[in-house]
Amino acid sequence: MGNARVLVKRRKSIRNIRKITRTMELIATSRFKKAMDRAAEAAAYTRKINEIVSDLSQADLTFSHPLLKQPAETKNVTLLILTSNRGLCGGYNGGILRKANSRIRELKGEGKNVTVEVSGKRGISAMKFEGVEIAASYQQFEDKPSFDDVNEIANRYLADFISGKLHRLDVAYQSFQSAARQSPVVETLLPFGDLATETEESTGVDYEFLPSPEQILEEIVPAAFRARFFKCFLDAAVGEQIARMVAMKAATENADDMIRSISQEYNRARQTQITSELSEIIGGAAALE
Amino acid sequence: MIAGTELRLVLVTPEKTLLDQPVKTLRFPLFDGQIGVLPGRAPLVGRLGSGALRVETTSGSETFYIEGGFAQIKGSVVTLLTNRALPAGKVDPAKADEELQAALALVPTDEAGFAAKDEAVNRARAMKNLGGR
Repeated sequence: MGNARVLVKRRKSIRNIRKITRTMELIATSRFKKAMDRAAEAAAYTRKINEIVSDLSQADLTFSHPLLKQPAETKNVTLLILTSNRGLCGGYNGGILRKANSRIRELKGEGKNVTVEVSGKRGISAMKFEGVEIAASYQQFEDKPSFDDVNEIANRYLADFISGKLHRLDVAYQSFQSAARQSPVVETLLPFGDLATETEESTGVDYEFLPSPEQILEEIVPAAFRARFFKCFLDAAVGEQIARMVAMKAATENADDMIRSISQEYNRARQTQITSELSEIIGGAAALE
Repeated sequence: MIAGTELRLVLVTPEKTLLDQPVKTLRFPLFDGQIGVLPGRAPLVGRLGSGALRVETTSGSETFYIEGGFAQIKGSVVTLLTNRALPAGKVDPAKADEELQAALALVPTDEAGFAAKDEAVNRARAMKNLGGR
């Protein structure tokens, strides 16, 4: 009976695990929807900023702003790595950290001063393991990053960049292309390269600019940077939930497969046992005759 | 050309779209003072200041606190992009006062510092004024 008991026990524990992974999948699904809505709402702001930028471009402006300028030398580089606080989300953190690590090695190979900042417990422990010094770490960003919190960090980078202490800012995060497609990327956010990439067709409206196009430009570049920086955090939050959803779905399916194969094994074991008991009885009865 | 008779306000923060509704008239702070907008306003792109946004709708008036950003008026749509927007009822005067004191206590050493202090003081004052009402 020993073998069958063990199998029953195993099947029970796998059933419990299945329940947990299934629940986590459902939770991740609902969180993903919420994060997705937030990202969609935030996109309205970015779209409007782009619209104003394209409005400005018809005012015969040359886009010159300290944030758009490539510094004379690129010595101090900051790499911000956005990972999750929790695990059980498949290859999400692994992919980002792989990208980040190769970028760190590349930068160090070029002899630059690399400052590494990490958000998320997973990334913090991974960097500790790698022996990389962490200049700043954040754990407060869960699946609902607030603009005020993110802004604090953005303002610090802006001040450092303008005063010349920082020459380049890279962000490693999971970029969101569609619900079925995300990929880990390392993006350079400062210097702010392409302000007018997504410029729509100019509307041809003759605007009154208050105070002047130049001054509005001066304000809108940092605003555009903040919006893009915030978007990284939102993308990361969405990506994490999608990764967890997919990982937990796979785990649930694997648990189902295991339960099925263990059930089969158990039935076989039970049958063998009954057969052997029967033959024992028959053998005993035959011996008595 | 007939002047427009409609006006629509869209209030957007980086986190979400707070308002998207037709209004009768609205007033909001630009970088150097208040501006009032009635239907048929000429197109405008401007920098916002900090202070009260007053909106008159058919069902009454509403007040919001907004903090910096940009305004765009195009056709009948007024879009306000602001870093922070709160309904006036949610502004906490005690906290605003605290922020004002903190801002006044700043000791700037360079030009950027002075500008930052001015901005912080203005912001806190605007918030306090609105909260006290």
